[in-house]
Parts: sequence; C-alpha cells; structure tokens
Amino acid sequence: MFSEGADPGPEPHPLPAPGVPGASEPPGAELVSLDPRVVGYWRVSSVISSVVLLGLAFFIGGSIVINAPEALPIAVGIWSLLFLFRLWMLWWHPSRAYRAWGYRVDDRVMEIRQGIWFRSITLLPLSRLQHVDLNRGPIERSFGLATLVLFTAGTQHASIPLPGLDAERAAALRDRLVAAGGDDAV
Amino acid sequence: MPSDPAPPGSPVPPPLPSSAPAGAAGEPAQRLHPLTLLFTVWNAVSRFLVPALILLILRKETYIVGFMVVFVVVPVLFGLVRYFTFTYRIEGGELITRQGILNRSERNIPLTRIQDVRIEQGILHRLLHMVDVHIDTAAGGEGTEATLSVLARAEAGRLRAAVLALKGRLQPGAQTAGQPVTPPPIPRELRRLSTGDLIRAGLTSNHLASTAAILAVLWGLADDVFSQEAIEQWVQSFVARAESWTAADLSAYWVLGIGASVLALLVGMVVSVVGSIVLFHGFTVSRVGSDLHRSYGLLTRRSSTLPLRRIQVLKIEEKPLRRVFRLATLRADTAGGTTDQGRESKSGRDVLLPIVPREDAESLLPEFLPDLDPAGGSWTPVSRRAIYRGTLKGSLACLGLTGVNLFFDPTWHSLWPILLIVPVYFLNLQSYRHLGYWMSDRYLRTRRGWLSRAGHVIPVRNVQSIVIRQTPFDRRHRVGTLQVDSAGQVFTGGGPEVSNIPWKDLQRLAWTVARQASVTRYRW
Repeated sequence: MFSEGADPGPEPHPLPAPGVPGASEPPGAELVSLDPRVVGYWRVSSVISSVVLLGLAFFIGGSIVINAPEALPIAVGIWSLLFLFRLWMLWWHPSRAYRAWGYRVDDRVMEIRQGIWFRSITLLPLSRLQHVDLNRGPIERSFGLATLVLFTAGTQHASIPLPGLDAERAAALRDRLVAAGGDDAV
Repeated sequence: MPSDPAPPGSPVPPPLPSSAPAGAAGEPAQRLHPLTLLFTVWNAVSRFLVPALILLILRKETYIVGFMVVFVVVPVLFGLVRYFTFTYRIEGGELITRQGILNRSERNIPLTRIQDVRIEQGILHRLLHMVDVHIDTAAGGEGTEATLSVLARAEAGRLRAAVLALKGRLQPGAQTAGQPVTPPPIPRELRRLSTGDLIRAGLTSNHLASTAAILAVLWGLADDVFSQEAIEQWVQSFVARAESWTAADLSAYWVLGIGASVLALLVGMVVSVVGSIVLFHGFTVSRVGSDLHRSYGLLTRRSSTLPLRRIQVLKIEEKPLRRVFRLATLRADTAGGTTDQGRESKSGRDVLLPIVPREDAESLLPEFLPDLDPAGGSWTPVSRRAIYRGTLKGSLACLGLTGVNLFFDPTWHSLWPILLIVPVYFLNLQSYRHLGYWMSDRYLRTRRGWLSRAGHVIPVRNVQSIVIRQTPFDRRHRVGTLQVDSAGQVFTGGGPEVSNIPWKDLQRLAWTVARQASVTRYRW
C-alpha cells in the first residue's frame, strides 16, 4: 500500500511534484511510511507500559485476594486475560500501526495518515504552521528516532504529532516545513 | 511485517543534527542568565515557606525534611537541569529553543509567527534588573510558546528588538501614523432588536434549568423566613383544598403536580424574558468600516467592537423551539478571546446576534463575511446511506427497548417500541435532507440536524487543518466524516463537522479546502 521509503539511508524523502494551487487531487507522490525502527520502539515502549500496568494489576488483585481468598481464581483469570491481551497487542499492534501510518508533503500541504480501525487523514496547509517541536525521548534516542509535533492556531487539532521518524530526517523535514510555512509566502 | 527493526540500544544516537553548525548562519546558542539559578532557588523556597510554617505551627517538624525534598530539592534539581540544558538562538529567521537531557526537545518558532514578546518583572526581578520574556504565537493550546526566565534586561531588549526587526514591525504605530488621516467611517446599522424580539428570544430559550435553580433558592428562602410548621400547615391546607376540589384522593396529587409544573414553566418563561430584556435591551449591531459594533444592555450597557477579519467561524443555530417560529441565533468564534464560557454567556459575548428570523440570517451573512458570495456554490448532499445507517441504529435501540420490556412484562403490550421505528425512519430522512456541505473558492459551509439545526460558515483563509475520519462501519459504507479545525472554537461548539460523505468525494473535498487554504494568508 505504501512505499517502503523509509530505509535509514541518507537520501532525501521522495518528493512529489510541486503542488498546483487549486488542484483538488492529492499529489502524485507516494505516501512515505515511518522509519521501520519505530516498530521496535513501539514494542519496547509497550513492554514498559505493560510491565507497569500488569504490575499494578498484580498488586491490586493481590491485595484483594489477601482479604478475600475466594476471589483468587477470578483474579488470576482477569490478570491472565490482561496479560494475554497485552502480549497480543505487543505482537500485533506495532506492525499494523506501522503500516497504517504514512505521510507525504509537497510545497503547500502536508498529509498525515494513521489509524488501524479508526482511520484518519489530516491535511495541514503549510501556510498555517505556527511552529514545530522535535522531541526525542530516551528510548526514541536509542532507536535513532524522533517525533515531530506540528502546531497550528487551531483548537481541536492544534498539535499534530508525527512519530517514528529517523532523527536526521526529522530535522531535515522540520527545516523544510518551517521554511515552506513560516515565511507566509503567499 | 516490516523489515526487522534495529535492536534497541545498539546504535549510539547521534546528537541532534542541526546542533552542530549552531550559529553558522545566525548567532551562537545563548543560555539564560546565570541568576536563573538564584531565581529557581528563590521560587522553590518561597513555595516551601507556607507549608513549612504550617508544619511548624502544627508541631510536625519531622515532616519538614520530606516537604523540603518535594518542594525545594526536586524543583531546584529540575531548575538546574533546565538551566544547563536550555539554550535559545535566533537563526535563519527562527527562534530556536532546546532543552532536556533524557527527553530532548527542540522548538523552532518562525519569527513571522511571533505575535507578542512580553517582558515581565517581579519584585526580585526588579531588584536584580532581570526580566522574564514570554514569546506568544497564535498557536492553539495553553500557555506561551516559549518562556525565557530569567534574562538580563539588556538581553531581553536585544532579543525583542531582534525579533521585531526581523519581523519588520519595530514600530507598531508606524503604519498608521504615516497614513493620511481619513474621516471615520459612518456607522451603518445592520440590525436592531425590538423589545418584541427580545420577548420572543426569552420565550424560546431553554431556561428550565435556571427556573429550577430559582425555585430551589426560593424554597430555601421560604425555609428560612417561615417556620417549618407554617410551611407544613400551608401545604396541608393547600392539599386539603385541592382534595375538596377533586373527589379522589390520589388525583389531588396529580393536580398539584401538574399545577406545580405549569407554575415552574410560567416562572421560567418570565425569568427568561426578563433575563433576555435585561441583557440585550436596545441591541444594535452596526458596520463601522471593517468593524462590527455591538451595543446592548438595560442595566449594564455593553458595547464591543469586533474587526470582521477576527471572525473565524460563523454559526447559524436553530434550537428546536426556535425552529417552530423560524428563528435563529448567530454565533461567531473570534480568535484570541478568553475561554471562560460561563462568564461570556452572562455578558452576551457568545452570541453575535441573539435572535433573528431564519431568512434574515441568511441575507445578513455577507455583512459579517464581506467576500461571501451566496451564489458561489451549491449544497451537496451526503451519501443516502446516512438514512439507512441512522434508521438501523435507531431501530436497534427500539428493538433493545422491546427486549427489555418483554423481559419484565412478556405480553403483547410490550412490543410498542417497535412502532417507533417509523418515526425514527422519518427523522433520519429529514436529517439526511439537511446534512450537507457547500464549497465556494473562499468559503466552506456545512449544515446538519433537523430538529435542532446547526450551520457553519468558515472562510477558507481561517481553516487551520482538515481531518477526515473513517470508522470500521464507515468503511463498509465507503463514507467518512469531515472535520475542519479553526482557531478559538469556543462559542460555536466545535466547528464544522459533516458525517457520511462518500469517501472519494470527501478526499477530494479535503484536498480542495487544503489547497485553497494553503494559498491564503491567515491573519490573526
């Protein structure tokens, strides 16, 4: 569906032809997928949050069982279900999410797609870009990844995140977006 | 499956690429003033003083160490980290801030986007000749986009001059001062509301809740003023009299109940009408040049000026009761307003025009949005699947209700909710007929609802982003939902949104809007 255009090489993004103002068709460019390393990053984050969640559930369940030993089978059952669900999510969700995410940008509009079941396409006219954040958490850094956050003056979608970008590309993309939008070139 | 990801932790992350040639094109990265550290400590200690005093008074000295860790040591540590990692610089027409050790964050703010450079000073600031600098853009969300705390006053002045110089508006008054003095434009009255209009507005507004509140207050007052026995006696005598009116004992309570409801409704209407008149007495809205001027109020006289270009979204609202009388309310979002909705509605700022006949609302639109060409587009309906889907949803609810009924009372009478499916279908048919969008080269309009209608008009120049969504059910019907984001959606309740648009049309529509928006300038 998407081009696997995210090999971590140094070449630039596949660039679409310059957009024609007023054209209603999407640009001819292929959607770019996220950096494949994001799957590993999401898995590691998921492991951490799962450990915290399951640990919390363990303590809550444990404190209930101590007071009411007859609840032990139910508690074990619920906890195992939770465990299996997280395990399944860990295995299934990141790769599916990776395939669902995609973006493309021409000189006027940026498109971001996401969502496995609940899909959404966000179109951001670059002349509406207010400023851009480039965030790198510790785990992201160990994967060489970064998250861009695009800010508009909007209300419900005032900040539009784009995770899972190769760090250098994220910076290059950021510079390109700011250059395209920030000068208000109309 | 994607190609296997790199094993975690194996590659040493390179530093942020843009950091290497810092200052190549602009200035070198700057740190905050070293006195920042003092301010950090001062802030932490001043926050710690009150809890510490309370603990001392309560003679719980042992807790002080814990409190000190929470209120002093942790904030100071954070402050230290912030001071040693926070840098800012102006480079290539952007203000770039960086911070963080573990969670590194870099923010690029184009100088052309900066709306305001605020310089603030507290008491300690003044003693030490330091300032806080707050950088604001039009970006949505809370807070300032960058806070530089603290800087030397000279450095703040330099920064501000640099920002404003690059922004090309060092002297904000220069543009107006240079122009020849033009005579002030003559106000042109667009609409004046008569007392009759305001009475209609009051009668059709849903003020049942406020009535209930007032009755509760009155009840509380009655409780205070009269003794318990007096009230009981009064109620008893009233009940007795009501009983004598009607033969049956039980029906007296019915009469009482209905009487109380009617009374509540009447009181509510009176309250609404009085409230409407007090708030909006003498309401006029006029065009003065490119500004809208509104003035109204019986006791507190209010007047406000709204530059037309500040109107982000306009909403024509028709609540059920007003629909009957073909009346509408006009609301407008203005960027940069406060978001205290309760206070705004008490001061009437949330409505542009409290009440107006439906047809007049339509013809007034070009006055508020001057370049709106009513003939520039036509209404496009959504997919007919909307009727089927809405009816299906409603029918399932009806069937569910039937099931519950049958569970408690397994007789033929319990099947009545099935009859509701017919009106449900009718409702969905009507809703479908009023669901749609309208697109011209400068405006996007949407409308939805039948019992309660809402129409949005948004200038494409104010569109911030477009989001189209598709749920799994949408996918089966090949439709989706359009959502258009704009600044300061406070008064219009969420901006334009239309569901059940055929997915292909929706994508084309979204791209059309995005392309048109991209070639316009958003002026805040």
